[in-house]
Amino acid sequence: MKGAKAVKAFKMQTYQKLLEKSGGVTKESLFIFLGKVQDTFGYVPREVVCDLAARTGVAEARLYGALTAYGDFEIGSEARD
Amino acid sequence: MQENKVLTRRVGKYEALDVEAYKALGGLRGLEQALRAGPQAVLEEIERSGLTGRGGAGFPEGLKWQAAAREDKYPKYFICNADEGELGTFKDKVLLDGDPWAVLEGILIAAYAIGAQHAYIYIKGEYEATCQLWEKLALQAEQAGLLGERILGSEFSVSFHVAKGRGPYIAGEEFALIASLEARRPMSRLKPPYPTVQGLFGGPTVVNNVETVANVPVILAQGAEAYRKLGTRDEPGTRLFSLSGDVKLPGVYELEIGSGTLRELIDEFGKGTTHGRPIKAVQPGGGTSALLADGSLDCALTTQTIRKAGSGLGTAGVIVYEEGKSALDIVGGLLDFYGFESCGRCSPCRIGVVTMKEIIERLSRRKGTADDLERLRQIGRACVAASTCGMGQAFPLPVLSALELFPEDFNAGLRQTSAKEFDSRIVR
Repeated sequence: MKGAKAVKAFKMQTYQKLLEKSGGVTKESLFIFLGKVQDTFGYVPREVVCDLAARTGVAEARLYGALTAYGDFEIGSEARD
Repeated sequence: MQENKVLTRRVGKYEALDVEAYKALGGLRGLEQALRAGPQAVLEEIERSGLTGRGGAGFPEGLKWQAAAREDKYPKYFICNADEGELGTFKDKVLLDGDPWAVLEGILIAAYAIGAQHAYIYIKGEYEATCQLWEKLALQAEQAGLLGERILGSEFSVSFHVAKGRGPYIAGEEFALIASLEARRPMSRLKPPYPTVQGLFGGPTVVNNVETVANVPVILAQGAEAYRKLGTRDEPGTRLFSLSGDVKLPGVYELEIGSGTLRELIDEFGKGTTHGRPIKAVQPGGGTSALLADGSLDCALTTQTIRKAGSGLGTAGVIVYEEGKSALDIVGGLLDFYGFESCGRCSPCRIGVVTMKEIIERLSRRKGTADDLERLRQIGRACVAASTCGMGQAFPLPVLSALELFPEDFNAGLRQTSAKEFDSRIVR
């Protein structure tokens, strides 16, 4: 259990760094930012979708709706964490 | 017939990230001229030049830009569409990699003319290296004072974003591209309202193809009159032809519009067909354009003459098929692709493409029924008439034209039984 927690913390830390580097995220830059998340993690983690939905005011369901429409976005990691 | 290099004259002549080298080769003159003249003068210049869109539809750019410039809503957006997904088209990549500063210059002039605050370039995700190049280019341009606040010491400011496409073919369609940038599913919608009125995030938006944008600095630098010297009266300038398929030397060739015929392009630049066999069919405007048979290849390379011959110049992606291929294989391959890429928003395309593919597959197994050909025609016409976006309206065109041109290929797929008998056999 401890390991899973550490992984999650690391993931969020990476995500926070990415956010800082991009200077925050708005509706206008959401698509490009999602791309950066995908390129960093190799998928778009669930926690990140949650957080982005809260930040931009876009419903989580809509975000998933969009993510699943693109062949190059993944919504789960290949290796389970 | 020879190449007339206007847009591609600098390709490969300088290191892609080196703005000084670009300046030394005569770059940025268009932008400086535009900033001196003011937005209204740029709009008039583009209108006078008669520049038409190079992304497929061929809409007059002057009108499009003016429509967006007239709008009173802010912010305005300019999008450079570099998501070239059309089959047989690879001309934009040459410009994006070979002369990126010219494309950026065109984007800046366009954004300045329509009064846009934000400019985007949406690059096809498969062009991985190109995306990375453009991200670096954006940083370089900012350092060189070409992006951001008060560009080149003028009053003009614009923010520039590089977006990478994430797979779908349909994201190259105007509205689907806009939806994609809004982080929604990439789907088209009915128009009007056109993007120039209500586009990205509801603001007035102009979406232009890379090749169109690359024409802009040329026009500004040398003036509309000089630009009009090339090409025809209705279509001035040059075009990049992506030649592919069964030719010995595929590639991108820049030709003056109307300077030669389709056959000359294939014979002189493509060096003839791969196995030396006669040409069976040619698609002159990418995968969604109607097929032309060998007999109609002597038409000049202009939109009008090719339309008269029964097809469209579209994106100028010329695909050659030589003798020895069945028309069923040709259209089957195309339908496979469009079936996979249909976004599913409107039913004619969503259902039509699959049904047409099923019929073609049936014919390919020599299991076609007597009314299959008529059904193929009907579904195709319905898709053309009732689909929402350009893809749904255009993907049946190769099938419909093949039915006219090569009926024997389709007839060969028929099983000589009546539909009723065939159906009853399946049911039992």
